[in-house]
Amino acid sequence: MNNLYRQRLSSHLKEMFKYLRLVFNDHFVFALLIFIGGLGYAYSNGLKELQPNLWWAKPVIVIVLLLVLQLGRFATLFQDADVVFLLPKEAEVRQYLSGARTYSESLAVVYELFGMFVLLPFIQVTDAMPVFELALIAVAQLLLKDSLFSLAIVRRFQVKSAWLKESVWFKWVVPLIILVASVYGMPMVGTLLALVLAVCLRVADKRYNAVPFDWWQAITLENNRMMGVYRFFNLFTNVPMLKGVAKRRRYLDWLLNIVKITPKNTYLYLYSRGIVRSGEFSGLYSRLTILGMVLLYFVRGTWLPVALAALFLYLIGFQLIPFYWQFDDIVFTHLYPVEEKQRVNSFRRLMFSLIGITAVLFLVMVCVANQDLTVGLVAFAVELIEVVLMVQYYLPLRLRKKK
Amino acid sequence: MTLQVTKVVGGYSQIPVLKEVTFDVQDGELVGLIGLNGAGKSTTINHIIGLLTPFKGEIKINGLTLNEDKNGYKKQIAYIPETPILYQELTLKEHLEMTMMAYSLDRDKAWQKANHLLSIFRLDNKLDWFPANFSKGMKQKVMIVCAFITEAPLFIIDEPFLGLDPLAVHDLLNLIDEQKAKGASVLMSTHVLDTAEKYCDRFVLLHDGTVKTEGTLPELRQALPDAGESLDDIYMSMTRADQHE
Repeated sequence: MNNLYRQRLSSHLKEMFKYLRLVFNDHFVFALLIFIGGLGYAYSNGLKELQPNLWWAKPVIVIVLLLVLQLGRFATLFQDADVVFLLPKEAEVRQYLSGARTYSESLAVVYELFGMFVLLPFIQVTDAMPVFELALIAVAQLLLKDSLFSLAIVRRFQVKSAWLKESVWFKWVVPLIILVASVYGMPMVGTLLALVLAVCLRVADKRYNAVPFDWWQAITLENNRMMGVYRFFNLFTNVPMLKGVAKRRRYLDWLLNIVKITPKNTYLYLYSRGIVRSGEFSGLYSRLTILGMVLLYFVRGTWLPVALAALFLYLIGFQLIPFYWQFDDIVFTHLYPVEEKQRVNSFRRLMFSLIGITAVLFLVMVCVANQDLTVGLVAFAVELIEVVLMVQYYLPLRLRKKK
Repeated sequence: MTLQVTKVVGGYSQIPVLKEVTFDVQDGELVGLIGLNGAGKSTTINHIIGLLTPFKGEIKINGLTLNEDKNGYKKQIAYIPETPILYQELTLKEHLEMTMMAYSLDRDKAWQKANHLLSIFRLDNKLDWFPANFSKGMKQKVMIVCAFITEAPLFIIDEPFLGLDPLAVHDLLNLIDEQKAKGASVLMSTHVLDTAEKYCDRFVLLHDGTVKTEGTLPELRQALPDAGESLDDIYMSMTRADQHE
């Protein structure tokens, strides 16, 4: 079982690196460097303006530590089929989990230390703590993270006691108390409490040895975790594994009912429901639209907002194109006696509505931010041309190319 | 003649799975496609519904090939897959609407039929649910309802009996009978031989990508006189003989 985890870890890492390579392509690395540089610069500038003994400094430290504590999840790498194939190996599942814990916890330690490293200058400026106390807080933080992992393991067994399973208590309330103690002048007490907690949970975890393993729960939790990872990668690239659960979203039915039920609209009917109810593309669309709107609110000038709006509009349209093939693995999509041309037209109408809405929202944002008629008119003209070009020429071209 | 498969050679890659398969399904006839796992039943079906293109040979539905008239050809097929396949994002009602739109059906008439079918299969109170979350048997029923509202002249049904409850099996067989009476043809692949024996008009016994025998039950008995009486006996003796070769 130990070997099994090692095998899975190596193929998991391979997969993650594959995606990371796609995420950190040349352009993005460049943008990221600028972004981090800017952020660091702003941070150091901000620090210069702070004085010691600000009233809000300590709460901020506690909250940041509490948030950082939640980083780094328990990667068990369980798969759906395990409930069948590993069931007879249940006695050895402990070994497997300890392998998982070693990996997950070492990664988490890196996150915690990095978080504290970033926070350190802020603590130094606002609250001249002695190094010894800082070290104690760091130790408490790591012990708390260790407790969370023990708890994560316990939660994957068929434990009856509700309070152990209840995540709010151990994930938020208890750490909050301990961190408050540590930051507000009692680092010894805080660290000691964290130590007691960590030891107790490790003992408790061992005591649950006799309890049957909860395969469904463990697999569901792991699937959720991987979903989160894929969703993150999906912001930058296409993730084929991402198959979200459809949500009914009844409150949007009025929007869907605009589509008339006629044979011509067969695919528009399907596409519109697909985009509204699946998390994947609608999430992408709304995230990028909101991000674009926020950026446009802060950007002033004549050409910059216009260029930015045009760029985001293109990006959104571009990202939506693969949705055309979303239903291709469903055999009926190939069996319907509907012409490909109608499908393309349906998709164009969908695309037109989506980027049309975005274009209008962007235009409103540009006008609000700049309060200038010329800029508004230019933005309107550029967006209009872009939408028409995309829907009329670019989209059919792309769809044909892929065929 | 509804379906005519002539000397079809085909498969998924370069290597042919089907070797000159020839058979037909007449109007108002239920033909059972019988064969072991891997005999080529699904491959045959995939060729008929147009997911695969034959390397050689020809498939005609009422005289039309897929290449002559894509939509005219597709319009004539109602397909029920072995594993139910559903749109994650569509409710049961929307699956039916999709089918009506795609096959250009008259909505009022189609809904009348749909409501009748839904009540037979006890799905009429689940119209607003996502069938993707149903149990296998219920998903299968959704597939059946979608297929039977199309008024297609040819039904292709891939292993319909697994996962359905006994009541639903009977209802399905009744529906097939109704369609046959209206002149539609049905090609059904199955492993459930005693049901097939009772209900199919003719059998196509597929083995290793070739049609071993074909005909009504008396014809099969005549072709293999020592095999026994039931379809099961005949089928077993045929496969056994093949393994000894």
